[in-house]
Amino acid sequence: MHFEIQYRPTHSLAIAHLEPGESVRAEASAMVSMTRNLSITTDGPMGGRGGLLKSFKRAMLGGETFFTNTFTARGTPGHVTLAPTLSGDMLPIELRRGEPLYIQGSSYVAAPDSVEIDTRWQGLKGFFSGESLFFLEATGSGAVLVNAFGAIDELELDGDVIVDTGHLVAFGAGIEYEITKASRGWIASYLSGEGLVLRMRGRGRVYLQSRNPNEYGQAVGSQLPPRQG
Amino acid sequence: MRHEILDAPDFGLLKLTLDAGETVVAESGAMVAMGASIAVETKMRGGFLAAAKRKLLGGESIFQNTFTARAAEQELYLAPPIEGDLAVRQLAPGETFFLQSGNYLAHIGEQLVLDTQWGGVRSFFGGIGFFMLKVVGPGTLFYASYGAIHEVAIGAGGYTCDTGHIVGFTSGLEYKVRPFAGFKGLFFSGEGLVCDFEGRGSLFVQTRKAPSLAAFLHPYRRVQQRGNS
Amino acid sequence: MQHYIEHGPAFAWLRVRLEPEERIVAEAGAMVRRSTALEIDTRLNASKKGGVFGVIVAFFVALMRKFFGGETMFLNEFWGPRGGEVVLAPKLSGHILRKSLDGTRTLFVQSGGYLASTAGIDTQLRFGGLRTLFGGEGLVLLQCTGQGDVFVNSYGGITEVPVDGQFVVDTGHIVAFDGALDFKVRSIGGAKSILFSGEGLVCEFRGRGTLYIQSRNLKALVSWVTPLLPP
Repeated sequence: MHFEIQYRPTHSLAIAHLEPGESVRAEASAMVSMTRNLSITTDGPMGGRGGLLKSFKRAMLGGETFFTNTFTARGTPGHVTLAPTLSGDMLPIELRRGEPLYIQGSSYVAAPDSVEIDTRWQGLKGFFSGESLFFLEATGSGAVLVNAFGAIDELELDGDVIVDTGHLVAFGAGIEYEITKASRGWIASYLSGEGLVLRMRGRGRVYLQSRNPNEYGQAVGSQLPPRQG
Repeated sequence: MRHEILDAPDFGLLKLTLDAGETVVAESGAMVAMGASIAVETKMRGGFLAAAKRKLLGGESIFQNTFTARAAEQELYLAPPIEGDLAVRQLAPGETFFLQSGNYLAHIGEQLVLDTQWGGVRSFFGGIGFFMLKVVGPGTLFYASYGAIHEVAIGAGGYTCDTGHIVGFTSGLEYKVRPFAGFKGLFFSGEGLVCDFEGRGSLFVQTRKAPSLAAFLHPYRRVQQRGNS
Repeated sequence: MQHYIEHGPAFAWLRVRLEPEERIVAEAGAMVRRSTALEIDTRLNASKKGGVFGVIVAFFVALMRKFFGGETMFLNEFWGPRGGEVVLAPKLSGHILRKSLDGTRTLFVQSGGYLASTAGIDTQLRFGGLRTLFGGEGLVLLQCTGQGDVFVNSYGGITEVPVDGQFVVDTGHIVAFDGALDFKVRSIGGAKSILFSGEGLVCEFRGRGTLYIQSRNLKALVSWVTPLLPP
């Protein structure tokens, strides 16, 4: 199984090429099209935390369902094409042996069976912005397909940096993070529009996206007609 | 008349240069900018009854604008509301092309015929499926996509595509709309339907879809206060 | 100050390297990442005028900018005693354009198009056109003057149009234009067309100067998405 990404970076489409018997597991709403020789099974919420599904739905910035579909090619080679909800890039990140990769919940798209996805989450709500931090831990071997809202920027960190939480896609082992106020004071942090930010420290890879889904949602959502509930 | 597609494939923008007396018909709301000597006329597409039927069934726009140049070398810029690519298709006399209704942008040629069809399980108030435009040449058709345009050559194995991701397809293909196997119910309108294609022809797939964006934006809407009108 | 516009034209962000004590002003919420050594000062999004009265006026101007201008009410100033790096990004997809002003020229930027500017730039809110305050239509502009750089963002791609004579643009597609141009907001045709044509208001430009248009329009996106929304 290998991922081929076309139409990068703006309207990227991932093609998961499958040899007979090979599988790929993808977030349920990601399927665009497929050859007709695939069998499909639907798995429950990742990590099996069925009861918490409802609260996660909002936390995942809408649209992400937590269900995954497993596509398996039967008899002949086939493919399934995948895309995320928002415009932007996709990247298969190769896992380094023995090292986990931490992925922001809404950035995960798909992975082969050789990758284990664990929902370890930090239910800390962004105090003011309503964002929640939710990370998946990916271990094993193979490539994990992640998406970005906007372009993907890969930073080799050696030291420390302050990052806006909504721009974080993924980061590798060797990086510590601490949630901190954007500014010196609480009021200033709220007014600055940044709310909570992450202070990241260590040596390793940090993947950022050049747009913030929460900012975009608010910019457009505030112009839409009000909803009933 | 000359045409040029700018800013593609990210945010396709159509630039037309018209000579005196030349006309182009476009979807309402598509005008970006134009020279001062272009006259605009608004008409109902297909006449009143046909337009009313479409509006009742699908919420499509009823009106089209006809732009006529009153002087030489008049520039006209047109754009769709969606982020994505823009393509042109020259249709020979009698050549048929099926286009998802929301992807139509503009056309040149008074003999080009646009006929609205319903693709899917029919019922008076909708059913499951999508509106299609059956476009018959001669003429020049400009259409847009949400995301990039991915062309798939359909052959012996057939192909399946999520209905929200269909831009258009050539004649010679048969299609059938059905709920996506294994998907636990329809989460949002338009989600969870796929189209199985058979025959020989080309299918044009868009790499993003509108219902997913609507689902993403929904939580960001203001909540209607009780007691307000 | 060194600036780099990266990841354009679809998802451009602005990366700025500041010298010690050098400042850059940006819309609230625009920060992507920054050096830990930088400080942030938050202030109202209004002209800097001193005194108690000045602050009250500034508050109302900032409020107006938020409700009518599609901008944030506050601005952030980034600076540090040792300098540092800050990356800024707009909210919508599109490009970033840098315009340098030398103290003699004026640049008009459509509301929502302002991303950041250097310390010597002053911005004032201006309204132009029909039913601006109450209809939500019409043109809400930032008049930029002074010396320094203005960083403007677009929704979609940016096309530079050299106007020499007359040119008509849908108001939602204006990014920025030279202060030298005359402009007038009107409806595209008669009263009927405003309701039926689907086109909103247009802006008629006359004279000689540069106009920047964007290939997408937030109002058009809103109209397109609205029928698909659940109740």
